[in-house]
Amino acid sequence: MEKVLLKNIDNPNSADIGEYRKAGGYRSLAKALQMQPADIVEEVKKSGIRGRGGAGFPTAMKWNFAMADPKFPKYLICNADEGEPGTFKDRPILEKNPHLLIEGMVISGYALGAEYGYIYLRGEYPAAKDILEGAIEQAYKENFLGDDILGKGVRFRLSVHQGAGAYICGEETALIESIEGKKGQPRTKPPFPVNVGAWSMPTIVNNVETLSNIPYIIEIGGEAYSAIGSSDCPGPKLYCVSGFVENPGVYELPMGTSLRDIIYKHAGGIKDNGKLKAVIPGGISTPVLPADAIDCAMDFVAMPKAGSMLGSGAVIVMDESVCMVRVTYRAMKFFEHESCGKCTPCREGTDWLRKILERIEHGKGREGDINLLSDVAGVMSGRTFCPLGDGAAGVVTGMIKHFRSEFEEHIRDKQCKFRN
Amino acid sequence: MITLTINEKEITLDKPMSVLDAARKAGIKIPTLCHHEALKPYGGCRLCVVEVERMPKLQNSCTLMAADGMVVRTESEEISRTRRGILEFLLINHPLDCPYCDKAGECELQDLVNRYGPTTGRYTEEKRKVPESHKDHILARNMERCVVCTRCVRMCNDVQGASAISVIGRGNRSRVEPFSSESFNCEYCGNCLTVCPVGAILSRLYIHSFRPWQLDREVETVCPYCGVGCSLVVQVRDDSIKRVIPRMDLGVNRGLLCSRGRFGYEYIHSEDRLRTPLVRKDGTLQQATWSEALDIVAAKLTAVKNAEGGASIAGIASPRCTNEDNYVFQRFMRTACGTNNIDSVSRTGFAAAQKYFEDLLGQGITANLLDGLKNSETILVLGDDPAAVNPVLGLSIREAARRGAGVIVVGYAKGLDKFRTLQVIPRVFREAEVLEEVLTGVFSDRGVRGDMPYVDKGIRELSDRISGKKTGIEGIDETVKKLLQSASTSIVLGMDIVQRSDGHRALFAVAGLTYLLEARLYLLSGRPNEQGLIDAGCVPDMLPGGRPVNVPDFRGKFEAVWKAAVPDREGLTLLEIIEGAGKGNIKALYVMGDNPVRNIPHSSFVKEALRSLDFLVVQDIFLSETAEMADVVLPALGWTEKSGTYTNLERRIQLLRKAVETSSGMEDWRILSELSRRMGVPASYSGPEDVMRELARVSPLHRDLTYGEIAAGDALWPYHGEPLRGEMYEVPEMPDGAKDYNADFYLAVDKPLFHSGTLSRRSRALMKICPEATVRIGAAGAAKLGLKEGDKVRLSTPAGSCEAPVSVDGTIMDNRVFLSGNFTGSGVYDLMNFSIDKITKAPGTEGCEVKIEKIQGRG
Amino acid sequence: MFNDTVLKEIEGIKAKYPDRRSALLPSLYIAQREFGWLSREAMTCVARSLNLPEAVVRGTASFYSMYKHKPAGRHVIQLCTNISCMILGAGKLVDFLETRYGVPANGTSGDGRFSLVIMECIGACGTAPAMLVNTDFYDNLSEKRIEEILENYK
Repeated sequence: MEKVLLKNIDNPNSADIGEYRKAGGYRSLAKALQMQPADIVEEVKKSGIRGRGGAGFPTAMKWNFAMADPKFPKYLICNADEGEPGTFKDRPILEKNPHLLIEGMVISGYALGAEYGYIYLRGEYPAAKDILEGAIEQAYKENFLGDDILGKGVRFRLSVHQGAGAYICGEETALIESIEGKKGQPRTKPPFPVNVGAWSMPTIVNNVETLSNIPYIIEIGGEAYSAIGSSDCPGPKLYCVSGFVENPGVYELPMGTSLRDIIYKHAGGIKDNGKLKAVIPGGISTPVLPADAIDCAMDFVAMPKAGSMLGSGAVIVMDESVCMVRVTYRAMKFFEHESCGKCTPCREGTDWLRKILERIEHGKGREGDINLLSDVAGVMSGRTFCPLGDGAAGVVTGMIKHFRSEFEEHIRDKQCKFRN
Repeated sequence: MITLTINEKEITLDKPMSVLDAARKAGIKIPTLCHHEALKPYGGCRLCVVEVERMPKLQNSCTLMAADGMVVRTESEEISRTRRGILEFLLINHPLDCPYCDKAGECELQDLVNRYGPTTGRYTEEKRKVPESHKDHILARNMERCVVCTRCVRMCNDVQGASAISVIGRGNRSRVEPFSSESFNCEYCGNCLTVCPVGAILSRLYIHSFRPWQLDREVETVCPYCGVGCSLVVQVRDDSIKRVIPRMDLGVNRGLLCSRGRFGYEYIHSEDRLRTPLVRKDGTLQQATWSEALDIVAAKLTAVKNAEGGASIAGIASPRCTNEDNYVFQRFMRTACGTNNIDSVSRTGFAAAQKYFEDLLGQGITANLLDGLKNSETILVLGDDPAAVNPVLGLSIREAARRGAGVIVVGYAKGLDKFRTLQVIPRVFREAEVLEEVLTGVFSDRGVRGDMPYVDKGIRELSDRISGKKTGIEGIDETVKKLLQSASTSIVLGMDIVQRSDGHRALFAVAGLTYLLEARLYLLSGRPNEQGLIDAGCVPDMLPGGRPVNVPDFRGKFEAVWKAAVPDREGLTLLEIIEGAGKGNIKALYVMGDNPVRNIPHSSFVKEALRSLDFLVVQDIFLSETAEMADVVLPALGWTEKSGTYTNLERRIQLLRKAVETSSGMEDWRILSELSRRMGVPASYSGPEDVMRELARVSPLHRDLTYGEIAAGDALWPYHGEPLRGEMYEVPEMPDGAKDYNADFYLAVDKPLFHSGTLSRRSRALMKICPEATVRIGAAGAAKLGLKEGDKVRLSTPAGSCEAPVSVDGTIMDNRVFLSGNFTGSGVYDLMNFSIDKITKAPGTEGCEVKIEKIQGRG
Repeated sequence: MFNDTVLKEIEGIKAKYPDRRSALLPSLYIAQREFGWLSREAMTCVARSLNLPEAVVRGTASFYSMYKHKPAGRHVIQLCTNISCMILGAGKLVDFLETRYGVPANGTSGDGRFSLVIMECIGACGTAPAMLVNTDFYDNLSEKRIEEILENYK
């Protein structure tokens, strides 16, 4: 498959506008500005692209909701708060291919009637901030951004808004709160951001990867795009593989590539010929899959059927040396640290779960702990304000479902016998 | 119309609301900790979950909007299990110290656990440890008990607008803290206390002193501090006020209070209360019996009246006394003493402005409901900081600002700094020229209205006089533009502008704007019954109900009821009375419930004048600076010790109820009634309601008004009365040319949030928050003198001098320094001269040059 | 109060948004740069320059983990210990930093040279373990490599 998102990134100067244009960059923008906004949306609709942030919501549908709202100004926000542990797919775009994202945003902004764009960039990517701001400056200079883009009278102004270390800001309403200078705590929905978003105006929040697909959709047309990968959620997809594989890294593959192929064909199989024990397929908020459950297509539709979720496509591979209790404990420590504190079940539940898991991992588990973990996760599940708490509960439930015996061993033996 | 079913009950809603509110409306209680009727839905605690048909999981009812055809269940096995689970979560870090916690008995968490369980907890890990903070004088903070419902923070941010506390940290490390982490340094409204569902924020005034179930009684009454007239519930045990709380469904304040109202009640139980009458013997005040004291007063007043005539007697009434007290006061002065020399310290502001506006625009022009303020599109704020003088009224302005209203401040209003949309800073003491320019700006666009020819004429003349001459002050044109665009405008007037020797100029401009813009006019009122005392007739020119005393027909009706003659000439105003005393024209002065020495400018002059009197009677609850000079001091009853009514600045009449028994004094009206009888003009009443019955009979304004109606909250202007139309006989001259105030510093009157008159000094809580007078000075002025926060300075003026610490206030941009009048020895009026505005008869306090010296080696 | 250059910088940031409060997060970064950490004084400066209540500024700042809420060492090491890094040995690197440099997790070394912040994911899972030193990024960490890297941070 032709690389779309990671095109040209081996070029050490790929972030420069000259190199980007040499490789055909900003042609889609020129093409798009010849089109009517509604036609652009139509192409996006035909492409069938779904949001790459994790929820897999059809992009064109989100756009249409925002366009149907009569209020102006509208805002386009790029969600570059890539915080789901295990995920590093957006980073190569941000650092190596920033103009692709900018081009995608300008086209989207034009289509949506949004004249102001913000890239909400996580604070943990300081290098990307400098690169993006440099690229934005270049784009302004060459009139791909500004008040009269390419002489077509189109305005789009773009700036980077740096986050400051809060996973929850990946949730779009929390992100909007944060861009408004508030704590990143999720808002009640409805109203949805497409109607009442940033500064109470219609706001479209799209992931880096999603927006970076837009120029290609314009280039080849929605229909051609829809032929790539899975039929019900097409397009190229970035999978990021980490953990015990020979060749960890980001792989651009057709949506729906099987988990087994990602691990064994593309990432070179298990490191040092080890034995696969478990995979977290879409970042740590997605339920773990045991070694025998990896023959599933990695897309938004198939993964739930396989007992997990595509999430951000962050594949964390664990071999037999890895302790599943420790992984669960570490994941819970993360959720506890990142819980925003707004709702009771997430705030208190993650704290309690972490404490129990910490005990078990450190050889102080007690009989009944596993049931207690399940009960606590059960109270959280479906009761939290946003998906963070649900994810935390799901991790525990999934781990106990597939690796109950490991928990039991820890409690029985009063120690952890694993190396990693 | 939305019709939904909750627990098999069909409910029809006429406006959109949440399922939780719909259930409450139908009397179905859904448990919650984070939801509060004064606050926006939050969705945090997750206790209000309900089952909704055709929805897959439990729904949060506080954030779910009711929809047509919805079928909701608020109780079920699964819902109970969920609530039990959530409550278990809330208890894992909770200290479970109910036996020790003040909140026990009225704790929402305790009640919910009692109802839904769990009975035992499965949590065996370490609990979060956060020591209770007592770093603040007033508020104790216990973050182990906190359930992070954030009601306090939302109240502080979204309603009070003080934004003094916030949630620090996130997740389970969340805790509520003020900026400093220690002292709150806030407005001390205590509204966080009202909304805290648990014992996380508590008042130190009553900590560990009682249990909610040990209270003897609760009494609904009205706040004794300012003209807003907030409703309060006084909670009493053993005839002692244990706590003052608001009620969400009560009064103009709907659950909100300010620091004075909430924490200022302690004065009533002060050790310093007067217990017995005092009579001056051999130069000192000595204890006397009631009959002895009353006999002396009656005899002496009768003697002065007989020897010098009634016009040599004067009375100062009280905006802290009830309508009933003030009504009987003026009846006593007019009939028994034979004088119309009746006024009050309200003449230094409110009464002067009120009279001016009514004369010009008609009776009732200032009677506007607070809700009108909230719903205004533009609010023009003049003269004082509403958030300090009338804090709860200030909240209405903040609310309007939050809704997008334009808030234009002419001068300074610190409490609105984060809410105003425009600030216009006039030249020092020359607010009138700004307002006149705004008025002519509006006039040149709109023209006159035509329904009040004399006002039209005045505006036209003014416009001619200043045509073309612009001050060039920034923001005036913008103000005119905003006012012209505004569909509903309110004007909020503080009394600082009135205290100018040409104060009537500003008042004319305000009246003109009110008239041209059809604006609602609100007069800030620092005392609880300023409007009431005017309406009760405690003014030199008007009988009760605002009927001119010099019109024989009006006078005759009162004389018939009172069975005594009323003098036909208008009496003297406050400052004329003081001057008259100084000159020897006034021989005897009767002061009820006020402290003129402290509350009138130029204290030494006032003292000198009072010293010249032959006879001074003071009727009060404390031995005030004025009472110390009296020949006879009569102990009165205070707030909560008697019943009666107040009229607030909206002109709403409200009922004060007796809450505690005391043996110290006598109701003001009863003292006057006793004296009246002794002086041969019987005026006896069975109680305050009886006084109101007479007022309702004799005053055309209060006609047919009953306590029942007042208690029901229905006593709104114009009651059943007949307001008089305005008829100003002449438009005041408006001199051109104004003085520049270029000296280094001028003294100005500060009106602090935490004090009011001299009562608040007897409240320990308010003294802890604000223990002494401070000199507020701008950053530039402070820099010029090398002063920093807390430095002690000596202020000197021709009238006097005092020492006080400095508070540097970056919002003051001119050469004024502000000092309050609340503290003995460092009161602003000790240092001020005054001149009288010949039209309003208010004191002009502008142009008081002050020398400021740093006191070395201290502070 | 901030000097005029900083105030101008903040004015520039405010201009990027329709509401002044949006400039809060960027302004906190600036305050941190100017003061080294978010002291009360630093937050008061931010509050004044944006006309926001101090408690709002502090509450918001405290929500975000990348602001320095206490004084930090000369160099701040932000080491990821989330799962991808953990399973590849990040935990041992935390111990190493403490024994070799005396810098405890979420603390500062006695000599004031380093502060160590335990991070959640920093997006380097493919080259784990990874860290940021100030704003410089390093991955594929081992004890030896950390020693080499930290030589450059005195």
